[in-house]
Amino acid sequence: MELIETLSNKKKEILSLWIERTLDSYAAPGFFKSSKDPFANPVGVNIASGLANLLELLLRKEELQAYRKPLDQVVRIRAVQDFSPSQAMAPFLELKWVVKQVLSGDKKMQPLLGMLDTLDCEIDRMALMAFDIFSECREQLYRNRIRELKSGSAILTDAVCPSAMMREEMKGISKNT
Amino acid sequence: MAVVKVDKLARSVAEGPSLMTGSIPTKDWMDVPAVFKPGNYAYPTKPEKLRYLDSQKGLSFPNAREWNPEDDDWKLPENWKEIILKGLADRLDRFRSLKIFMDCCVRCGACADKCHFFLGTGDPKNMPVLRAELLRSVYRQEFTRAGKILGKLAGGREMTVGVLKEWFMYAYQCTECRRCSVFCPYGIDTAEITMMLRELLHLVGIGINWAMEPASNSNRTGNHMGLTPQAFKGNVEFLCDDIETLTGIRVNPTFNRKGAEILFVTPSADVFAEPGIFTCMGYLLLFEAIGLDYTWSTYASEGGNFGLFTNTELMKKLNGKIYAEAKRLGVKWILGGECGHMWRVLHQYMDTMNGPTDFMDIPRSPITGTIFENARSTKMVHISEFTADLIKHGKIKLDKSRNAHVKATFHDSCNPARAMGLLDEPRYILDNVVENWVEMPENTIREKTFCCGSGTALNTDEIMEIRMRSGLPRANAVKHVHEKHGVNTLGCVCAIDRATLTSLMNYWVPDVQVAGLSELVGNALVIEGEQRQELTEGLRTLV
Repeated sequence: MELIETLSNKKKEILSLWIERTLDSYAAPGFFKSSKDPFANPVGVNIASGLANLLELLLRKEELQAYRKPLDQVVRIRAVQDFSPSQAMAPFLELKWVVKQVLSGDKKMQPLLGMLDTLDCEIDRMALMAFDIFSECREQLYRNRIRELKSGSAILTDAVCPSAMMREEMKGISKNT
Repeated sequence: MAVVKVDKLARSVAEGPSLMTGSIPTKDWMDVPAVFKPGNYAYPTKPEKLRYLDSQKGLSFPNAREWNPEDDDWKLPENWKEIILKGLADRLDRFRSLKIFMDCCVRCGACADKCHFFLGTGDPKNMPVLRAELLRSVYRQEFTRAGKILGKLAGGREMTVGVLKEWFMYAYQCTECRRCSVFCPYGIDTAEITMMLRELLHLVGIGINWAMEPASNSNRTGNHMGLTPQAFKGNVEFLCDDIETLTGIRVNPTFNRKGAEILFVTPSADVFAEPGIFTCMGYLLLFEAIGLDYTWSTYASEGGNFGLFTNTELMKKLNGKIYAEAKRLGVKWILGGECGHMWRVLHQYMDTMNGPTDFMDIPRSPITGTIFENARSTKMVHISEFTADLIKHGKIKLDKSRNAHVKATFHDSCNPARAMGLLDEPRYILDNVVENWVEMPENTIREKTFCCGSGTALNTDEIMEIRMRSGLPRANAVKHVHEKHGVNTLGCVCAIDRATLTSLMNYWVPDVQVAGLSELVGNALVIEGEQRQELTEGLRTLV
């Protein structure tokens, strides 16, 4: 049996385990997993939909550029959550473990385990692209901070009291005279 | 609506650790300590700001000191626990609402999945029910018979430094937007629980600078920015110059003019920071177009009231200046600009704190004759109510094609929507000033609107990540209408929105700009005698 064909048959199982493992990285993932409303549950639905698209692309052996949008959908969220960079990226590499887990659960499929090298390679490339996007997101965050500082809203906390300045000046004048 | 028990919610964790992340969140929520690290807390108040506020009549902000949330030792006063418990007892006695909120929650979980902080983080302590539980557990332990006897079995827990740190963490991961309250079958106002947590923390000198310095500036010079009367006036006049360049209309507003019919109060960000200044240009043009007899005050030069995020006494004091100025100038009523929490303070607290006023008239539009019965008690009318009334009576000429560059959607700013019910007026205005606008999905607008994620003085840059994740539910809905309908403008009626949604959009939906509603009105306004340039981007056009 062809590897890709087998994986396609097991797509549902793989995806479900992959989403499950990814959402388990949140402290209270119950709602993220259960609600299917994209507006009530943006984290759960965006991550699930992003991962579903990524798996589809992997099975179709699509060009790397096609991965950008679904990767962004997942990474942009995890880049601003309380994860270390490695934790934020972990789900993409964890797909390897998920695939092996699903295949090893079925005796007929176990021989295919040795043929996973190519897929693993594809997954690595996807993960590396995810890392690029993660860095872009973090840079965007810092650009936002700089823009806010430059926009003048920082004056909120750096305001100078004119009367205090005058007092300082007066002190200076009286010292000099 | 999810109906779940809070314990189950908190324990809905992975069967095993994630292989890659190793995260094993299997502990009871009470046993997970708050850990502070760069990016997850806003900077503490500068001691000199706190000392200044403490020195002011009617205010108490004791225990000013240098302290760092990342340190184990927060340099709390020796008797901190006694101060906190006494403070809680005092507030339970003074505020009946607090006592009810402490007792009546049945932990149905209806609020749990409605908070943008929970939706962005998956942290159970960001579920409104659990955030309140941080205080409620101490209340049970110390103030209920069951808790005193049974302790943890009755959901009680001792007030420890760890609990205090947890309060600081989560009282500042709530924007008091009150979306959760919409879904609470008992009407518990979780924002008021956050307010109490923050008040209690201030008793031991724990607070954030982004709340306290603007509040201190506001107390001293009249506005958050600390602008002097001269600077404030100068900034408005600078905008008048811009208006003249763009439209050929010379606007000459007055300041502190006694005997004006109306006092106009708006957030100071409108006269100072982009994109608020474009909204301000909209106000100035509108008032010019209808020949309104109004004045600005350089003392009540701030609509915002960071006292709301601080404590009751400071809120009252900062709010009081608006009435004091109205009285001093002898105006008949007050017109308020596009601000968020100013309207919560006005509608829900001002009348009790500083009102009811007996020296002003029930607001009546001098242009249309409409009497704003809804403002009978406060004497203050929202600019959107006022503008919608002008449009309804055909008193202003609008050319929608001047907003041809705009494909809008409307973000209901939390406080005007949920605290004063301003839902239809902004939409009516949009219908009349732009050719194209669409609604975001039903469960993200009107009373159910999602917060920008940066309200209640959380609009500071050091917590940008927190702001981005808590703003995700809002941004996600904007992204949807951007992709589906090509929306490029997010309209709103709040100064904090204008500043922070801009950052939020930059991160999540970079092709969408943020605009105050009055800016869009100003764009479309046709004024007699104008010599308008080709303004392809409305009042934002660089000429």
